[in-house]
Amino acid sequence: MTTPDGDAVAPPQPDAVPAPATAPVRESEPFEPAGVAWTPVSPRLATARLVVGLIWLGVPLLGFALAAVLSPIVWFWIPAGVFALLALWTAWLVPRQVRALGYAERADDLLLRKGILFRSMVVVPYGRMQYVDVSAGPLARKLGIASVQLHTASPGTDASIDGLPTAEAARLRDQLASRGEARLAGL
Amino acid sequence: MTGPLPAPAPVPVPGEDDLGWRRMHPVTPAVKGWKVLVAVIAVIAWNAADEVRDLAELLGARVWLFVAGAIVLAALIGFGYSAVAWRMTRFAVTDEAVHLRTGVLFRQQRQARLDRLQAVDVVQPLLARVLGLAELRLEVAGGAGSAVSLAFLRESEAEQLRAELLARAAGVHRGRRPAAAAGAPAVVAEPVPAADGSVPATGAATEPVAVPGEGVPVGAGAPAGAPGADDGPWDDGPAPVAPERPVYEVPVGRLLVSTLRSAATVWLVLLLVVLAVVVVTTGELGSAFAVLPPLLGMASYTWTRFNRGANFRAAISPDGIRLRHGLTESRAQTVPPGRVQAVQLTQGLLWRGPDWWRVEINVAGYGSATDQNQTENVLLPVGTREDALLALWLVLPDLGTDDPRALVDAGLTGREEDGGWAVAPRRSRWLDPVGWRRHGVTVTDRALVLRSGVLVRRLVVVPHERTQSLTLAQGPLQRRLGLASFQLQSTPGPVTPAVQHLDERVAAGLMDEQATRARTARAGAGPEQWMRRA
Repeated sequence: MTTPDGDAVAPPQPDAVPAPATAPVRESEPFEPAGVAWTPVSPRLATARLVVGLIWLGVPLLGFALAAVLSPIVWFWIPAGVFALLALWTAWLVPRQVRALGYAERADDLLLRKGILFRSMVVVPYGRMQYVDVSAGPLARKLGIASVQLHTASPGTDASIDGLPTAEAARLRDQLASRGEARLAGL
Repeated sequence: MTGPLPAPAPVPVPGEDDLGWRRMHPVTPAVKGWKVLVAVIAVIAWNAADEVRDLAELLGARVWLFVAGAIVLAALIGFGYSAVAWRMTRFAVTDEAVHLRTGVLFRQQRQARLDRLQAVDVVQPLLARVLGLAELRLEVAGGAGSAVSLAFLRESEAEQLRAELLARAAGVHRGRRPAAAAGAPAVVAEPVPAADGSVPATGAATEPVAVPGEGVPVGAGAPAGAPGADDGPWDDGPAPVAPERPVYEVPVGRLLVSTLRSAATVWLVLLLVVLAVVVVTTGELGSAFAVLPPLLGMASYTWTRFNRGANFRAAISPDGIRLRHGLTESRAQTVPPGRVQAVQLTQGLLWRGPDWWRVEINVAGYGSATDQNQTENVLLPVGTREDALLALWLVLPDLGTDDPRALVDAGLTGREEDGGWAVAPRRSRWLDPVGWRRHGVTVTDRALVLRSGVLVRRLVVVPHERTQSLTLAQGPLQRRLGLASFQLQSTPGPVTPAVQHLDERVAAGLMDEQATRARTARAGAGPEQWMRRA
């Protein structure tokens, strides 16, 4: 084990599980840890998010468009156009965002990643999990997807996986629960 | 959940089950009633001031009779309610948990598991202190409002109960009674006679074999207070109070000066200057009243900070860290070993001259209360660098490095890479032109050490085994510059460990390594019941 800039440091617990030798400075892409196969979430999540987003944008768009058609005021086309652009942008962005979501179950922790412009990656050790939430709204149920959220003792842990197929969500929940139990460590 | 649960009877009778239910001290309603009385009067004064004035005109000379009657009524409500609440409140202590029943209309039974105990506080508000009463607060890691509050108990009783609870939480079974003790998991340990020569009476109970740290035998302390003949659920005498050794204290003078040398004072002076200018230029005194609320706010902030930090003393005992503080309301905290999740040392700009530091900790039970002025999370309100080092030593006796002093010095004031610090590269100055010089992180065998802040210096230490989760984040600008931020999630509290704008590959490598280190450290971490050796 070494510190990030190369000073040799003895491993904390010599008799405990030996740590795999990792390079202090990772040579691969920072958001692509070596040997991690990301599992993508269901593309139906894009459908779910698009439906919600387009409802929010579509209602004012229709309203302004109707107003522009029915009234003599031409200016109504401007907000209508803005909302139309926003809707197009959402339609382009959401599938990309959903494709950027991913998770990976490693031997001792769960890896989550999200974002394209603002990327983030979270490592949650199984032993730190306090409880797991599985939730699905009416639209998600219709599409057969659910979201799984992991809770640690820290409210700052942002570890939720949206858009898992229902069966996979149930499997992951059970898997996480059993792994958490096996590695449970107080706080 | 072991231990038989009591039947949900409407009026519980002590002794109906074998939990040994006890009541709070009978003076409790008198102490708590004042709060209700004041609240009732305050509500009337705020909401019905106009009606009261009209009524006063209507009643004329008899108004004082009316006022007296209203106060008596409020007192009756206040004390009456408190008395009923007292009757309905009872608690019991078993080997595994503390049970508390409260509520007049809406009943609540709360059970705090002792192996999850995060901290035990003995709190004495002014009135309770005068009467020799104390509140015992058991913090469990359930977020805000999850504490079990036993209020009020006799002072000696509270301290005795604290020692008892800590002994049980530590895994030192006293053996409440043979039947209960036999059901408890047996510990492999050779019974060692306590220092006073007595051997535990019950066979299934065990005495501690090892005391972490100083090698102080836990039985060496003098038993404090005799157990009540009728209220004791324990058969074999009081648990010995763990001996403690004072480590540091905060002189009143330093606290006073440090409180004055804070940002609040700067704002206060600025406000007064602005006020003076306004009054002089406009010649109107009326505008002076506009600054009264912020003035009062700041005065109250300063006073609270001083009041709660006064008489600050820290000590170490086998039960963990002992903190005592408070001028009017005194508080004695006990944080058992391994309950501190993260430590932070900070120094504001005005404290730089005398080199003073403030040390705060994250403890799961204390959480981040809405009160900005809370002192539960304060390990040292103000201290010299030596004191701050001692405070850090209280939490982490072994920092896992050969030269902890050099490491901490580099973390407190250093700006270079010397001593194994991974620092933010020079290109990060585009994102953080002032602070980039101080962003840095280093790793020891036992802890992750993060530093930041040029104006307000900050050093955060997180033991490896207390890592909750790790986050690597990168925004679009950081991506262009090849930078990334690394965060470590801790339990709620004042400390948020994070380091900004590291080189992205260094940050990613740190994340990989830290995940491994945290896992290894957890595997080797001591048991929750800190006296118990598996």
